[in-house]
Amino acid sequence: MKHLFVLDGQEYELWLGRDACGYRLLLDQERIPVALASDGCGRDRLTVGRVSVPALAAVDGDVVHVHVDGVTRSLRWVDPIARYAAHSGASLDDIIVAPMPGTVISVLVEPGHEVARGETLVVIESMKLETAIKAPRDATIDLVHVSPGRTFDRSAPLVTLAPASEG
Amino acid sequence: MRIESRIDTSSEEFRANMAHNRGLAAELRTRQNKARFERPARDIDRLTRQNKLFVRDRLNLLLDPDTPFLELSTLAANMEYDGEVPGAGNVIGIGIIAGREVMIHADDASVKGGAWYPLTIKKMVRALDIAIENRLPVVHLCDSAGGFLPLQADLFADKYYAGRLFRNQAILSKRRIPQVAIVLGHCTAGGAYIPALSEYNVIVRGTGAIFLGGPPLVKAATGEEVTVDELGGADVHTRISGTADYPADTEQQAIAIARDIVAQFRRPDKLRIERLPPAPPYYDPEELYGIVPRDIKVQFDMREVIARIVDGSRFHEYQPAYGTTLVCGYAHIWGYQVGILANNGVLFNDSSLKAAHFMQLCNQHCVPMIFLQNITGYMVGRDYEHRGITKDGAKMIMAVAGSEVPKITVMVNGSFGAGNYGMAGRAFDSRFLFAWPQHQISVMGAEQAANVLADIKIRQLQRHGQTLTPEQVAAIREPILEEYRRQSSAYYSTSEIWDDGILDPVDTRNALGLALSAALNAEIDRPHYGVFRM
Repeated sequence: MKHLFVLDGQEYELWLGRDACGYRLLLDQERIPVALASDGCGRDRLTVGRVSVPALAAVDGDVVHVHVDGVTRSLRWVDPIARYAAHSGASLDDIIVAPMPGTVISVLVEPGHEVARGETLVVIESMKLETAIKAPRDATIDLVHVSPGRTFDRSAPLVTLAPASEG
Repeated sequence: MRIESRIDTSSEEFRANMAHNRGLAAELRTRQNKARFERPARDIDRLTRQNKLFVRDRLNLLLDPDTPFLELSTLAANMEYDGEVPGAGNVIGIGIIAGREVMIHADDASVKGGAWYPLTIKKMVRALDIAIENRLPVVHLCDSAGGFLPLQADLFADKYYAGRLFRNQAILSKRRIPQVAIVLGHCTAGGAYIPALSEYNVIVRGTGAIFLGGPPLVKAATGEEVTVDELGGADVHTRISGTADYPADTEQQAIAIARDIVAQFRRPDKLRIERLPPAPPYYDPEELYGIVPRDIKVQFDMREVIARIVDGSRFHEYQPAYGTTLVCGYAHIWGYQVGILANNGVLFNDSSLKAAHFMQLCNQHCVPMIFLQNITGYMVGRDYEHRGITKDGAKMIMAVAGSEVPKITVMVNGSFGAGNYGMAGRAFDSRFLFAWPQHQISVMGAEQAANVLADIKIRQLQRHGQTLTPEQVAAIREPILEEYRRQSSAYYSTSEIWDDGILDPVDTRNALGLALSAALNAEIDRPHYGVFRM
């Protein structure tokens, strides 16, 4: 599987492999040597094929900022696990179930409420442990299945979210 | 894949947790500082009069400058002996001398003349156990008045009392792990065996002495009158008896000689495990303060903790959809690959099975394991018993006990019931076990236990015809609850040396890196287990 990079909103699929002198870029069956060498004083030199230019590079998580010829480009690597996840509208995740049996301490939402990802929906207690059940995404509440003081089993539905709209 | 944090760092909840946990960390630093440096003036004056250095100054001379020192059990004995024996009267830790990773044990003569209390012995035995398990050479800085006689019954005769020190020294030697003792003060009676059982020892002329009985005891036993130097000083032992190897004129010279001895040690090859170039976590470790809730009863997602400890916040989660109350997966810490097992709620049948399976994977492929505890126990109730929660819990315990890869445990929050055992509690030979300041540990939560104990007492009184007012019930319940809370606190736990020290949460990554580095000095056996009840 090739690496996927995003540059200026455009996706690029390519393979950057290691070789003895640095890296080699596999682009349409062509193998181009690539190297980024530091001169030890904070300056870098970027070599692509036979071209070698002064450059500055900084890495911030999955984003690499490269400054060449007075222009800065930001290259973002996309994790293939996230990229190939199917983002269909309705999913099992829309029904939020109890992670363990217990008692409802408080219910903080009603059907129709808009909630943001991470917002607490219900607080439960089990084995002396209070657990806040939080919204996995921005959503509208469709159904609330429990009320304060009620007990429930493991995997019992607590709250159902309205399916996420496409786009 | 990088963990995606779901924490809202601008929320009121986060800020309140931040303030609370920063406060706990500040309290920890104050307590540690006190235990390390604060001594009554008369004790420091006495050392100066005797021409001796304070233990911390000795350590500064001994260690390579600008290298990390993983000090262990700094707050041992903080709740014992009326708080008068800071650090249990000695310093232990892993440091770098002449580029070698070594275990250091140093008597602290500014505390009761370096007398060994029961917890002093326990701390020294633990230091030597760590040295044996991780094949670490040991440097002893000896300066002790000997066993604290009023408490001799609690430190002399039993299996893990003082005799264990010398047994451990002999085992280290047998396993070709060298030791150096620097005799900086008196080594009397049992203390004399520390340098005698070390491969190398250095003794300071004038202040260092080794003898089975000091001059007063000799006078009482035989009538012989003899000075300290004539009985067991540097020249006696390096010229006549051969008990010591190198005489030194000053403490500084003795430490320099010891450093030179350590420089002769073979630098062992570390065990090769999967490694990557280290990278800092993507999420700021300071955010840990805002993640751990103020109330120990409130749950939080342990992935948020993992994200602030591991390289690049990257985590390959194993079985993400199964047994979700235990998070398992692979990550790197300072470049070392580790398997992480972290509680995200109560342990069920499926989470126990997942744990046992994941531990076998780690053992099969030589991946050290990190346990992050926040556990209220295994799930109780008819359904769960019928499904065999006890036998599945037993599988997990069988797997953890039979594991051969290094285990390191961090008591992040609660540690209650058998969950403590399944998650590599103290009894399961973790190479290192650290705690966070808010950590609580006990057979069950304080309130449950206090209720049980108070109910028994109230029923006894009722059987004798007494009826109790709510005030009387409270009067029975409160002291029980108070004592239970005291005994389940992190400071009590560390006082009793149930752990290797309390960490400021932001230091966890560094402590784990140092502990992993130390653990890789020892070979890993092939995994083998007892019988898993199916």
